Amino acid sequence: SGELYCSLPNPRNVHFESINMKNVLHWSAPEGIGDGVLYKVKYSVYGVGKWIRKPECRNINSTWCDLSNETSDYEEQYYASVKAFLNGMCSNWTETTRFNPLTDTKIDPPMVSVSSTEKSISIILTAPEKWKRSPEGESVSLLQVYPGLQYNVSVLNKKTKKRWFFSVSNNTLVVPWLEPGTAYCVSAQIYVTTPLLHSGFSKEYCIATLKDKMA
Amino acid sequence: SVTEIRSGFTAIKANIQARDPIRTLSILSYPHSLHRVKSSDRCCITHHLFNFYVDKVFKHCKTEDSYVNRKISSIANSFLSVKRKLGQCHEQNKCMCGQESAKKFKQILVNYEGLNVTSAAIKSLGELDILLDWMEKSR
Repeated sequence: SGELYCSLPNPRNVHFESINMKNVLHWSAPEGIGDGVLYKVKYSVYGVGKWIRKPECRNINSTWCDLSNETSDYEEQYYASVKAFLNGMCSNWTETTRFNPLTDTKIDPPMVSVSSTEKSISIILTAPEKWKRSPEGESVSLLQVYPGLQYNVSVLNKKTKKRWFFSVSNNTLVVPWLEPGTAYCVSAQIYVTTPLLHSGFSKEYCIATLKDKMA
Repeated sequence: SVTEIRSGFTAIKANIQARDPIRTLSILSYPHSLHRVKSSDRCCITHHLFNFYVDKVFKHCKTEDSYVNRKISSIANSFLSVKRKLGQCHEQNKCMCGQESAKKFKQILVNYEGLNVTSAAIKSLGELDILLDWMEKSR
């Protein structure tokens, strides 16, 4: 914009929202400003001297911008910044805090698959994948990103309401000595010790142990 | 102790990083990230960096916030205990220093001395997660 002095109020609450390292910049419109505001976005790698514009987020009216592609190297840290425009006026750039994809992302619960025998349940857990540029892109499990990744597993006996908790590092768990012909519900959570991160618990997956053939 | 350092740092990360207005410089990552260090040099670099933080950084990180100061001193104490363990490795020649690590550590000191001491100390403290991420990833 031609105006050097920017009198428009700044965009507010500029921050990254990140899930499985899909890193999306979000902000709120400047205070007291109605429709018609446009924005542009830039980002920088911490420690590197230049700001880089994001062409796809130039003159946009939405209040988010997907920077996953630009922030996919989780060994780096980033800043992003937003500027608002309205009727030839502009705001100042408003920056995020320093964004560290490794520690600042949220992790989805694991996928859970269960099978049963008469007296046991087998549980297979799959960690979510890191965001990738395209479906054909290489899949990277969060297990590779966080070597210390573990699973907390909850198993509920629907009849007695008794619940057990297990903490496992590998992705399979067999729960033995169960009652035949009984429904059990399994839910699991991801837990990373360093850096300290954990997902929510997955929804419950219920299955019944087979009936006792001898009974 | 590394877990204690991580949780102590997480508690003050936003506060400390907000005190560092210089986006274009990094003490630990410029020009190359720690992640480029060869595995054979990792122990030596870690040893040097723990000495660096204890000897040069923490003492210059006083703030007006007593909560932040308490967290900084607890991080410093954790660093001291890890530093002692690393020192033992160094004495038992299990922590060899090659040319690469000497060069890398020299660059870190150059980056540090390129700023006034308080800015350099606060910036180094704000980069603790870079050190911790690298240490944990290469464990």
